[in-house]
Amino acid sequence: MGSLTASLNIATQSMLAEEGAIETTTNNIANANTPGYARQVPNLEEAGTIQVGQLTFGTGVDLASVSSMRDAVLDLRVNQETQQQGQLSAFIGAGQQIQALFNETSGTGLQSSITAFFNSLSELSTDPSDLTTREGVLTAAQNLTEAFNQTSNNLTTLQRNTDLAVQQSVTQINSLTSQIAQVNEQVVAATKSGENAGSFEDQRQQLINQLSNYIGVSEIDAGNGGLTLTTTNGAALVVAGQSFALSTQANPTTGFQDVYANGADITSQISGGELAGQIQIRDQEIPSLQNSLDTLAYNMTTAVNNQNEAGYDLNGTAGGAFFTPLTQVQGAADSMGVAITDPTLIAASGTPGPYNTSGNPDATGDNTNANALLALQNDNIVDGQTPLSYYSDIVFKIGNDVSSAQTNEQAGSQVLLQLQNLQGGVSSVDINEEAANLVRFQTAYQASAQVATVINNLLETAINMVVPST
Amino acid sequence: MSIRLNPDLLPELLASMQQSEQNETTATQQLSSGRTVNSPSDDPAATAAIVLNHDQSSQDAQFLQNISTLQGRFQVADSTLSNVVQVLTQAVSLGTEGATSTVSASDRQALATEVQGILTQTVALANTTYQGAYLFGGTDVNTQPFTLDDTTGAVTYNGNPNTASVELSNGNSITTNVPGDQLFQNGSGSVFGALQDLYNSLNSGNNIPTAVNEVSSALTQLGVQRVTYGNALNQINLSESFLNQDTLNLSEQENMLEGADLSTVATNFSQAQLASQATLSATSEVLSQKTLLDYLV
Repeated sequence: MGSLTASLNIATQSMLAEEGAIETTTNNIANANTPGYARQVPNLEEAGTIQVGQLTFGTGVDLASVSSMRDAVLDLRVNQETQQQGQLSAFIGAGQQIQALFNETSGTGLQSSITAFFNSLSELSTDPSDLTTREGVLTAAQNLTEAFNQTSNNLTTLQRNTDLAVQQSVTQINSLTSQIAQVNEQVVAATKSGENAGSFEDQRQQLINQLSNYIGVSEIDAGNGGLTLTTTNGAALVVAGQSFALSTQANPTTGFQDVYANGADITSQISGGELAGQIQIRDQEIPSLQNSLDTLAYNMTTAVNNQNEAGYDLNGTAGGAFFTPLTQVQGAADSMGVAITDPTLIAASGTPGPYNTSGNPDATGDNTNANALLALQNDNIVDGQTPLSYYSDIVFKIGNDVSSAQTNEQAGSQVLLQLQNLQGGVSSVDINEEAANLVRFQTAYQASAQVATVINNLLETAINMVVPST
Repeated sequence: MSIRLNPDLLPELLASMQQSEQNETTATQQLSSGRTVNSPSDDPAATAAIVLNHDQSSQDAQFLQNISTLQGRFQVADSTLSNVVQVLTQAVSLGTEGATSTVSASDRQALATEVQGILTQTVALANTTYQGAYLFGGTDVNTQPFTLDDTTGAVTYNGNPNTASVELSNGNSITTNVPGDQLFQNGSGSVFGALQDLYNSLNSGNNIPTAVNEVSSALTQLGVQRVTYGNALNQINLSESFLNQDTLNLSEQENMLEGADLSTVATNFSQAQLASQATLSATSEVLSQKTLLDYLV
């Protein structure tokens, strides 16, 4: 047997449940544009039943819980893709600056200086005794070495800038991991006490996504809603409420900052995120280009010097070093220089002197060695290639590295957009949907209120049945 | 139930807005520079080829400059030798005149003096310089190649017997000089020796016809040697037209590698513009779209 008061309770409880649902809806609408917000859904449940004799009555509705709509797998995929994109965009950003140093399409690279140097030798071969022509060779050589010095210096400057960026990324990462640790703690606490941890989870996902932009991370479910974050090679970043800061320390050889996690050097193992892209540029791309430039500078210096030493200068004296002799490949482009300032010392002749002495014919118009110097242009003097074809390979390499990163970045950004769309399908607030829900909950609330009024009337009727005795 | 779509269309619209803006920027850059390759990453292989292309066309320009230097030198050498031929021809007719029996001894003396003048003139011609360098001293360009002993009339060669060669285009060289001893003191007919002998014969009145023959054969020999310069001029003219053609080919190749086809780029540009406008209009539609809330009163 039911009772009117039980019905009144059901109506009141229903109004309370609908109020909660309306509040959730309102909150969704309010947060429609909040980044990282996952829409919440009120979970209305049938309240428990009561048994009266053989009859079972429902006891109305309960707002059992409010849950945040997110798909953990999608969140993870978005983070992974963000890590890829972070790495690629850091690589492209620096790569574009590097390739500007080799931008041969606008004629601002080394090619014009190398060609001009050999052209000056070509001109020398037409008139080896002319001092102006000889001065021309020295000027072209000076320009060539300066171009090498400058390109090498610019590369080093970019490398230093990238090193600074590495340190900034590490600072960002540490700030984010400490925030994530705090929020992680809050999620666990809320989950344990049975509260809705949704808004903490929103924050945490948002922070992990930001972290993913800087570094590749692995997420491990630690139970109770907690997450353990490690770098992709397993160094702990966040465990429960504790974060482990990365640190940097100057490498004694290179002078650049190595990245340490818990005392171990993880520089070469970092993958994903801007940090990985920056390290790739700083530790691989630039050193490899620098080494190629050095090889080119070293071999040109050596070949030109050897050939100059094989000839005779304008006085018929055996030629000496034309460029400042180099002892090693490393640093060659930076230290390349012209050894002579006296134009008569260019060994254009192939005939030994001394010249300008009586009774001894000169050979100041002998251009045999000038021709031999010029021929170096087409000789395979740099790792089995001519100087220019070796250089064109350098230009190809940097262009190709940037271009493939761009292709990957473009493809990746499409994937990321798709994933974000799927994520939005699960988590984004749809105003129309919320409006419909609002109307639904409003109607239910109004109905319950109406029921309460009816029951109130019924109670009045029952009470009025009792006629006081006079 | 169908899959829930992402109600937030803005990120996708923003992405395509960025894409079409990027396309517009690219097309604008290509239109203004006239090139499709503006940085190495635009086309790494083309950029690498451009390095070699620019190198070759710059080398060609240098070769052309060398050619114009050589052209001047060869022309001066050739016209100098042509002057020598003229004065030698004159010496032959002077000798022929001196050989006739009707000429008096004093007239022969006068002819001899004239031949002496021709010798001096020829030595001066053999010492011609071009831009400060002696043309006929072999590779010794600073020493005066020939000195004339005024008392004996003997001519000494101070140069060397060497030649130089200059590259006219890749792998194609040309000899740029004929050494003076080969031209003027050749074993098969020495110009100076013949003039000296003619002078002596006219003075003494003996063996004049032999001396005249000697000058004639020296003249012939000079003519043979002189051909070298004529040929050289032809050869550099050929090289010049080859290099001009090569320069044209290279610039055509450069254009193929990085040049923008203006009509294609212009089309790309207007397509990008159109796409960008369409995206903007779609975005404004989406942003101002009514929601269910607008209908609830």
